[in-house]
Amino acid sequence: MTCPSIFEILTRKIIFVTGKGGVGKTVLTEAIARGLAANRDGDEKNVLWVTIEDPAYPAGEVRALGDRLSHLNCDATQAFDEYVGMKIGIPTLAKIFTQNKLMKYLSQAAPGIHELVLLGKVWFERNHFDHVVVDMPSTGYGLAMFHSAYNFRKLFSGGPLYEDAGAMIDSFSSARESGVIIAALPEEMPLREAIELDHFLLELFPENRSAFVVNRCFPEFDLTDAELKRKSPHSEAQQPVQSPVPTSLEDYAIKRTKLEKQNLKIWAEIDLLYSSIPYLLNATLSRDSLITQLTATMETLGWFTAQTARLK
Amino acid sequence: MTPQDKVDLSDLSALQLDAIIKKRKVLVVAGTGGVGKTTVSSALGIRAAISGRKVVVVTIDPAKRLATSLGLESLGLDTPQDLTDALNLHLKQQGKPLCLGQFSALIPDTKKTFESFVAALAPTAEIQEQVVRNPIYQIFAKEFAGTNEYMALKKLHALVRRAEFDLIILDTPPSRNALSFLEAPTLLSRFFEERFVRWLVVPANRILSIGMKKSLSVLEKLTGGGFMTHLVDFATTLFEVQTRFTETLSEVTELLKSEDVGFCLVSGPTPDTLSELEVFSKTLTAKEMRFDVALINRCLSYLKSQPVSPSFFASPAGQLTLQICARETQALRAFNSFASFSGVSRQTAEKRSSEKPLLLTLPELSRDVHSIEDLIHVADAFIAPSADGEISL
Repeated sequence: MTCPSIFEILTRKIIFVTGKGGVGKTVLTEAIARGLAANRDGDEKNVLWVTIEDPAYPAGEVRALGDRLSHLNCDATQAFDEYVGMKIGIPTLAKIFTQNKLMKYLSQAAPGIHELVLLGKVWFERNHFDHVVVDMPSTGYGLAMFHSAYNFRKLFSGGPLYEDAGAMIDSFSSARESGVIIAALPEEMPLREAIELDHFLLELFPENRSAFVVNRCFPEFDLTDAELKRKSPHSEAQQPVQSPVPTSLEDYAIKRTKLEKQNLKIWAEIDLLYSSIPYLLNATLSRDSLITQLTATMETLGWFTAQTARLK
Repeated sequence: MTPQDKVDLSDLSALQLDAIIKKRKVLVVAGTGGVGKTTVSSALGIRAAISGRKVVVVTIDPAKRLATSLGLESLGLDTPQDLTDALNLHLKQQGKPLCLGQFSALIPDTKKTFESFVAALAPTAEIQEQVVRNPIYQIFAKEFAGTNEYMALKKLHALVRRAEFDLIILDTPPSRNALSFLEAPTLLSRFFEERFVRWLVVPANRILSIGMKKSLSVLEKLTGGGFMTHLVDFATTLFEVQTRFTETLSEVTELLKSEDVGFCLVSGPTPDTLSELEVFSKTLTAKEMRFDVALINRCLSYLKSQPVSPSFFASPAGQLTLQICARETQALRAFNSFASFSGVSRQTAEKRSSEKPLLLTLPELSRDVHSIEDLIHVADAFIAPSADGEISL
């Protein structure tokens, strides 16, 4: 199954962004959410941007950030209480249950409950928005969240938890309803981890292939001049073992460009379709302006509009 | 100050790093995913081995090419591989003095370790069988956040006991943040909290309050019944292994608190690293553990003054490298105020506050490290920044 384009993934209701730690998932997710919520003629979408227990934000409630954009920093304890309250229906009984010491212990210590509850909250919010864009935890833990739905489907023999876990699996399996974007950097480990993650996700959701993004690509650097000057005919042969420590910023830029090209072969050789985001950085800019810049970049790449996507 | 007290800054920090390597029996290398923990751990290991220590690097998830070049391609060997000969071969090729100690690496098989752990704790084969068959256990073994961390600790514990090495460098498992490793034991012990396990197991305790009765019936309704049976079953078997589990856990925690163990935090040269450093330091202090080194990896600014072709800084790539350098210098300056910095004399350097870590940088490399040769270069490249955040080779 070929990978969908990012544009196609972004037409779906629930969008998960995952990948190895440190690849920039958090800013990518926020930029995508802002891009989807941006004003386009006659096409207004209500978007929920979700972070999972991000210590940078207060936990809990959905808060409006603009006319069409809201943010939720999902918290497991709160989501658990909310879910129980919804299922039991009687507030006093729900309170007895969630305050009970044994139940507290089970909800906190039992493996997988935490993950299931967080995922359940995200899934539930799809009813209130056109798009839910989720900043998933990095590879292993993100995958554990999807596994939790399957695990509880196995573990419980019936009841609402069993039903909901099943419905969640159906939602995430459907290529019309949900999609995963796997983000990486043009470095060996994140690129390889992305391929592994793709395999694991296909085992869970065989009909729903993920899309791929490589973030922070070094600007194209014309090596001809600099390199020709540097390269005497014998230099390579004379130095069989060069230090991996670069000798100047230019030397670094040359080698980095080459290295990234080399690394991206890891994806190219299995014909992976992916979208590239350039390295955006300005030490004097705030995080907000970085996000704005990212959203604008995504817009020019045709992530949000069908027309540009076709041109590409 | 006498003339011989004046030491070159980089020599001084190298001395301090070597003092740490010499003093500790265990160095725990922590950090968020993707910062280069494995490279740093291996480079520290090589540095220690060259200086005469018998060292083993324990790493859970190395890059495949690195594992291959270290001769560890067959994962799950679970025993230390002696790489001293390979290291010496490359040292010789690079014209450097040979290694005085010994260099080994070990990749634990986490799944196997967990099973052998249950086997070791379960009093009888039947109980072991029961635990392993239980669906809750199967999920626990596969998914539970903290299991990897616990297994790493367990491996560490076993290695310390065997006393085969002078220095164990533990590359912590990949995780969301640097603290997961430290929090894992607490999470796990919460799971094994005795009063609850006992409650589920011992029938005499089942004189239920009305609240408990109601709660249980709600749980039954939510989960469809079968779950409770599994749970009681699992708790029964857990109860059998619980005491010994807690014992191991507290032994490891004691070990981590001892003078023998120091921590190294690896992070990137960006401004948000400061809060990570602060939280990590605070957490270690609260746990009575020692923060030895704050290692800022992938630094570029030491190259700022190296000559480039005239048009380079006008190109987008050149502009980008300058911006990265500017952000980095700013960040390093901020870290200096946090970490211990004493470029004054050897004496003050040795009196370095024990709560404040030594601040060191490693350069950004122009290729992925996947050979012992590369690691030898990295082992030589630890640099301390000056008070105004500048670094130079």
